[in-house]
Amino acid sequence: MTSSIKEFAKKDKPYDYYPRLLEELKKLNSKLNMFSNISDISSGFPFSVKDNICVNQVESTASSQILEGYVPPFDATAIERLRTAEFSFLGKTKMDEFGFGTFGINCKEHPRNPFDEKYVTGGSSAGSAAATAVLKYHVSIAESTGGSIACPAAFCGVVGFTPTYGLISRYGLIDYANSLDKIGIMARHSEDIRYVFDKIKGSDQYDTTCIDHEIASKTAEKLVIIDQLMKGVDDKVLSSFDKLLSRLENMGHKVAHESVPFIEKAIPAYYIISMAEASTNLARYTGFKYGLKINDFSKGYNEFFTEARSSFGPEAKRRVALGTFVRSASVKSKYYEKALRLRRMLIESLNGVLKDGLIISPTMPIKVPKISEAEGLDPVQIYGMDSITAPPNLSGLPHVSFPYDYVDGLPLGAQLITSHFNDYALLDFTERWEKQFEYRFKYNVGAL
Amino acid sequence: MRIGLEVHVALPTKSKLFCSCSADAQEPNTAICPICLGFPGSKPMLNEEALHSSLNIANALHCKINKNTYFLRKVYFYPDLPKSYQITQLDGCVGLGGYVQLEKKKVRIRRVQIEEDPAKIIREDDYCLLDFNRSGIPLNEIVTEPDIESEEELREFVNELRSILYYAGVDIDKEMKADLNISLGTERVEIKNVTGIKNLIDATRYESKRQSELLSHNQNIKKETRSYSAESMSTVSSREKETDEEYGFIYEPDLAVYNTDGIGVLKPQIVSDIAKGYAEKYAASKETLKELVMFDKESLRLLEYGVERSKIGTVISAISLLKRTGSTSMSNDNFGKMLEYMNKGMLLNEDTIKALEQNRKVEVEKGAVSSEEIDKAIKELISQRPDLVKEYKTNPKAFNFIVGIILKRYKVSPKYVSERLAEALR
Repeated sequence: MTSSIKEFAKKDKPYDYYPRLLEELKKLNSKLNMFSNISDISSGFPFSVKDNICVNQVESTASSQILEGYVPPFDATAIERLRTAEFSFLGKTKMDEFGFGTFGINCKEHPRNPFDEKYVTGGSSAGSAAATAVLKYHVSIAESTGGSIACPAAFCGVVGFTPTYGLISRYGLIDYANSLDKIGIMARHSEDIRYVFDKIKGSDQYDTTCIDHEIASKTAEKLVIIDQLMKGVDDKVLSSFDKLLSRLENMGHKVAHESVPFIEKAIPAYYIISMAEASTNLARYTGFKYGLKINDFSKGYNEFFTEARSSFGPEAKRRVALGTFVRSASVKSKYYEKALRLRRMLIESLNGVLKDGLIISPTMPIKVPKISEAEGLDPVQIYGMDSITAPPNLSGLPHVSFPYDYVDGLPLGAQLITSHFNDYALLDFTERWEKQFEYRFKYNVGAL
Repeated sequence: MRIGLEVHVALPTKSKLFCSCSADAQEPNTAICPICLGFPGSKPMLNEEALHSSLNIANALHCKINKNTYFLRKVYFYPDLPKSYQITQLDGCVGLGGYVQLEKKKVRIRRVQIEEDPAKIIREDDYCLLDFNRSGIPLNEIVTEPDIESEEELREFVNELRSILYYAGVDIDKEMKADLNISLGTERVEIKNVTGIKNLIDATRYESKRQSELLSHNQNIKKETRSYSAESMSTVSSREKETDEEYGFIYEPDLAVYNTDGIGVLKPQIVSDIAKGYAEKYAASKETLKELVMFDKESLRLLEYGVERSKIGTVISAISLLKRTGSTSMSNDNFGKMLEYMNKGMLLNEDTIKALEQNRKVEVEKGAVSSEEIDKAIKELISQRPDLVKEYKTNPKAFNFIVGIILKRYKVSPKYVSERLAEALR
């Protein structure tokens, strides 16, 4: 069976299935820190939700101290659409604060990789990926701005799907960078992703940027390697990736090499746009309407706001400062506006490449790093880790990361990109892949 | 003196600009939702009624309509601003480069744009309260070039603008707020947030006097922001830093670019032009015509209908009569009948007007009387009651008593009866 949702529905469950599932999960969670809260479910197929997506009456903090205590009075549209008898909300998953991070370590009590706790999960949808790697029957509603689904999916050995920008409503998503944020899905099987995607996609009166659009599944024999994206990829990753390519060639694919002008500028363009937007989104956190509240009203409002905003984590502060700078009047044309132009150029050139092929690459340029290694990197080195995930994210192109190898007991993921609204082609591809490659997991909590 | 204005008026919409909360709730904090409170996770959705209405205004101000209009985030921190940014417009605003025609000049309009109102701050002695009913109310901002050069021109401009806004559907009884830029010398002084027209005129008068006194004493006028106090009728320095404010504008990524091509706009009504046209064509007083129709759509409709059918003098009298009796829904046909009666020299009373308005049969004998009939009745009364006539010379109350008798019978204008009686007694 390739759909765990269908399999789960068919199987008989013991009377104490859910209590045992919850008990086991909570025990494991104290070790792996995947969830920030777990609901006592008693029926349905469990789904988890990244903590930056609002769930009615459930604390939603985007793993930020400044939002502690924020209990939204509404469901995100995607959650509302998924909440049927069939699916049960299991809990909120941890993430880098507001989505600001590549390793999942920018928050209190950050998640750990289920394959080996010394290693990172990847980020920012860290807990979502870890939970997917732990739970046998489960999907996670995650979110990607610059690679926040693909990266942790690769590091935790699960399938991570980021649809075309604008296909899944962002209503209820606590914004990082609105023109880049995409809600997506993580699962162990691509068929489950397709099932959930079909349930939650489509226009929404509450999100102007979300549309109904026919989704194609134009398959392509040609797999394109963008040579610039392969620069800086770790040798071990490269040699493993080469094996994947030969395997795909055996499956009938043809591999071609192309280059895309300015693709290496995707990182600066991505960080400029995302920080500019993030710095405006984070402006609303001033400590008196929701989340963290400052109770000393004796100060002037500027001091009051400053005190509240000191509870942002260091990466959030960095992005507010840089984002405010790049949109300031004197340098705006040099940074913000230039980045917008670059985005447009990149969309055009990537669409050219994608006309008759899919772009394939390793998802991340490195193997899964140890937590201690990730902690030792400086911000610029960390931003550089998004070199492969930034281009499709900046361009709003659908992409999927899928496991293709295990090295030293840790998974490796490959990223596949297609053109706008050809999302099904990715799932067709990974479904075929899953027929001949079995994903491995250390935990199977909730197995029947 | 050079004056430029940034005028803010509320757009006439039932709901707020980016959510479906009511735009005219009274009880504080009752028309609120996650969107207008700026809750994390909420997103704006544009109320297209506001866009249409702003397009009508821009069109009536002779602006060039932007084919593609879009929104920006203007970031600043203040307790009344829920998201700490205001969704507003600049280059991509609804309309650019228009004008308002005054008697002797054009006042150029730089732009017409849509933006959201922040919450209302209610200041108490040692605390403040916030009413978020106002948060997200759609505002229309109209920015002029500094073309106004005197208090008279300012009055004229405001009057013209209000009339244009009235005909574009804006509720002009709601407060008009303006930022006033005024300079007698080379440096611009900005007076922020002046509420109401009286205050706007008073602030201008005070500020022009202040600046001219400084100039006459050879003192410099400082470039600064000031605020106007209605109590002291004076402006005071706001003591803000005089660097250009940094708002870090970015595109509002939660809203689309809106194409205005397909949106039909109302034919603009520049009523002072219409009044001027009639005044010239029919040799009537332009001022009288303007007074009748500048802020009254019904009267304009009747005027346009009436002048085709009757002498303009009668039309003006008829409209004035309707205004006096508080009539608001006279159909064109019935107005035509009214003009007919009046042209026959008949006087119409309130009952007759009401009957016409409600499309009831008019009993001309009862309701409408000719002036001859009134004169006849007065003569009869004088001859029948010589006692009263005698008394009226010593007791003025007797005069009113006679008028009262006539009025009881005919229910026509007391003023008219008084005039005729005085004439008869002479």
